[in-house]
Amino acid sequence: MRAARAWRVIRFGITSIALYAVWLLFTASLDAFSLITGAVGSVAIGALTHDVFIAEHEASYRSFMPNPFLLVAFLVFLIYSMYLSSIQMLVALVRGHASPRVVHFRTRLKSDLARMVLSNAITFTPGTITLDLDDDHLTVHWFLATTRHSRAAGEIVKGRFEGYLRRVWS
Amino acid sequence: MRQILLDGMQWFLVACAVGAVIRILAGPSAADRLVALNVLSGIVLAFLAIRGVMEGQAIYLDVALVYDIFGFLGLLAIARFLKEKAMGAGEDE
Amino acid sequence: MISIVTELIALAAFTSAAVFGTAGIIGLYRFPDPYARMQASSLCGTTAVFSVFLGSLALAPSWAVATRLVVLMAFFLVSGPTGGHIVARFAWNSGIDPWRPVSPVIRPARRRFGGGKVERAKDSPLPPESGID
Repeated sequence: MRAARAWRVIRFGITSIALYAVWLLFTASLDAFSLITGAVGSVAIGALTHDVFIAEHEASYRSFMPNPFLLVAFLVFLIYSMYLSSIQMLVALVRGHASPRVVHFRTRLKSDLARMVLSNAITFTPGTITLDLDDDHLTVHWFLATTRHSRAAGEIVKGRFEGYLRRVWS
Repeated sequence: MRQILLDGMQWFLVACAVGAVIRILAGPSAADRLVALNVLSGIVLAFLAIRGVMEGQAIYLDVALVYDIFGFLGLLAIARFLKEKAMGAGEDE
Repeated sequence: MISIVTELIALAAFTSAAVFGTAGIIGLYRFPDPYARMQASSLCGTTAVFSVFLGSLALAPSWAVATRLVVLMAFFLVSGPTGGHIVARFAWNSGIDPWRPVSPVIRPARRRFGGGKVERAKDSPLPPESGID
């Protein structure tokens, strides 16, 4: 009972702080009126919506809180791999080669947020689109398929994203 | 130089938008139209960013930000609507 | 001096945006099914747009514009794939069959798939244990 209440307070605090950070980012002003309005608003909205923002069954603090430095490193890697696969797609488009295929595979990531980020990263790189994400089972449309073996396909499509994400949300 | 770059990019984006709009009008199936609409929303975003830098006014980028955050809600609504329409038609038959 | 460097960076970013954008729009017309069109057009909808953001970040006239551009890029990393995922999921759930080219790079076992429909000769029906259903 006590643990549940402490967990609720922590979730409420994190939600309010995140909302306030976004408020500061958007308004970009340091007037007293703006700061106070934002604080009142984010506390009120945090009290109403912290159950939606962070679900109660979320395992622990580490499962949704990213490691900030590794997150930035992951984003840089994501942009790099986006350009890499764009060039591959460009070559395939010019030469007219295509071997589209729908592949299914599983991910080893535990946290829901990390799975969502993995499927977003797969969609963000041209050449692969996540069609469906069901717990740990991903359905991916892969434009330049080189294999029909589902586990090997998973390793190629996920690339190094999964390894990075396991460290970002450990 | 700066002005030439921004002007050129702006007209290029307009040309891309025309290409996407032709696909929206011509697309044989609903999924084709949605694909072109998705591309068009990205192009509009880039266009707003270019205009904001060109005029040096942050208000364009605020508009782009809100368009970015809520842009996919429209896409979601259209997809849901089309799906329900298709399912309704399936039940009638 | 600095303005020349930023303009060169912007020139590189805008050139890549022009190349990828043209390729994406061509890809939108070149392929026969929504999935392949979507893969090709994500060159225009994702890579070109991101390149435009990078280029305009290099040309940003003031800090107010530059910080908003960075925030815009961060949100685009989330919203771009989400929109694509909605469209792909719609196509997948409405049962559109993915296109298979006649002669892909890797050639799978030859099947008689034409336009997503399995064509069977009427005089020689496939045996039930053939696995094609």
